[in-house]
Amino acid sequence: MDKKINLTQLADLLSQAGGMSKSASEQFVKNFFDIISQNVLSDGLVKVKGLGTFKLLQMEDRESVNVNTGERFTIEGHQKISFTPDSDLKEVINKPFAAFETVEITSEQADTLASMNTVSQQEEESDESSEVIAKEVIPVAAQEKVTVVEDMPLESGKVNDNEAKVEPTVKDVTQKRGVRFLIKLLIWILAILLIVPLLLYLFWPLIGNSVLEFVERDIKTRNKTEYVADSIRSVPKPVMETAPVTPQPSKPAEQPQSQEKPSQTAPAQQQAPVQTTPAQQPSKPAETTPAKPAASTVTTGQGTSGYPAVKLNSADTAKDLKDFTEADTVNFIMDGDLTVHTLKSDETITKLALKYYGTKKLWPYIVKYNNVKDASKLHEGAKIRIPVLKAK
Amino acid sequence: MNNKQFLTELSGRCQMSAEQAAQQAQKLIGVMEELWQNGDSVSLSGFGVLEVKKKNERVSVNPTTGVRMLVPPKLVLTYKPSSLLKEKLK
Repeated sequence: MDKKINLTQLADLLSQAGGMSKSASEQFVKNFFDIISQNVLSDGLVKVKGLGTFKLLQMEDRESVNVNTGERFTIEGHQKISFTPDSDLKEVINKPFAAFETVEITSEQADTLASMNTVSQQEEESDESSEVIAKEVIPVAAQEKVTVVEDMPLESGKVNDNEAKVEPTVKDVTQKRGVRFLIKLLIWILAILLIVPLLLYLFWPLIGNSVLEFVERDIKTRNKTEYVADSIRSVPKPVMETAPVTPQPSKPAEQPQSQEKPSQTAPAQQQAPVQTTPAQQPSKPAETTPAKPAASTVTTGQGTSGYPAVKLNSADTAKDLKDFTEADTVNFIMDGDLTVHTLKSDETITKLALKYYGTKKLWPYIVKYNNVKDASKLHEGAKIRIPVLKAK
Repeated sequence: MNNKQFLTELSGRCQMSAEQAAQQAQKLIGVMEELWQNGDSVSLSGFGVLEVKKKNERVSVNPTTGVRMLVPPKLVLTYKPSSLLKEKLK
């Protein structure tokens, strides 16, 4: 260990290895190295198989600084003998450290290293101002060092330090794996998000029809629930959209309905009567005109029907009127036919309500009065009886 | 000077066949290899010292990419020419 082997010792060892006498082997070794040194000087290059390459290098002039004085001076160009060992020999000699590999350092580790450096620097700098802190910190560092050495009971101290320093890289590798896993996960999610629409697009001809049907059905059912009021749904009687004008049989059916309603909108109902003076049917003049004749014909029996009253007092109580018609909570009694309307191509029940009552919101009464089950299924030419509405 | 030239000159100086010289050279290298593996150094007057040195681990930065690499420690065979040989260079 750490011996200096000279020429004679080397010759002894060689002769022990066999083949030659001591003197011959000594001569051989001498010649061996003489040839190398001589030829490096003359040729500039000697290659010996199994050992390596000796090379003569020409160094250029370069400038340097005297560390102590700070003076600049030039190092003159000179020649230098370099030696690069054979790769086989290199590996054999590096065997004790062959397990180590060059590792990429993540930024986190670099930061920790940097912070450690700065901490140690701070300790050095702040020896006067914060002695206490320094005392506290330094022992810890010392302990760490001790433990490190204890953990690695190997041959030489130098090697121990090295292994301890290499160890953190293993942690980094695991951290890196975690990060890589996350990145992979993200990529997968993105890929799935991309692939699913693509597949849908590709297989649309196969799936498309069924999907569309499903969507249509869904919309239909929704429309039904929205379009037909609950009170109407609960009507027991089967429906005739084009119900002929038969007010008498339908009237008894209305009464239970009107009884139902108060239960649904009880609180609003209590408020409403306060506001409802008999003259409270909203309508713009333009809309009322077509209804006029009809109203006059029907309201002969009923003096206080909503419609004509509006015309009288529309200027005074327009506001009050709006309040309860928009609220859609005021209850009216349907009292006889105002008129019979024949449905045109682009008319809906809400439009009829707007036309005859001046507000769309009263359409449920028309539906109820006609026992319409599905308002979307009304067709052109259907005869719809418009009831006279009377505030309760 | 390559290996072949080296061996022919060696065989000429030691008055042995080229084959023998090659064998002996290999043996010599094998002996030295063992010495180096044990941590011994070979010093020859007029030539220099062939010695195994431990290089510490270090952080190297790839100047183009800025990637930091931790280069592990390693054992390297070094050669230091003797002062006699150095003087011949001047």
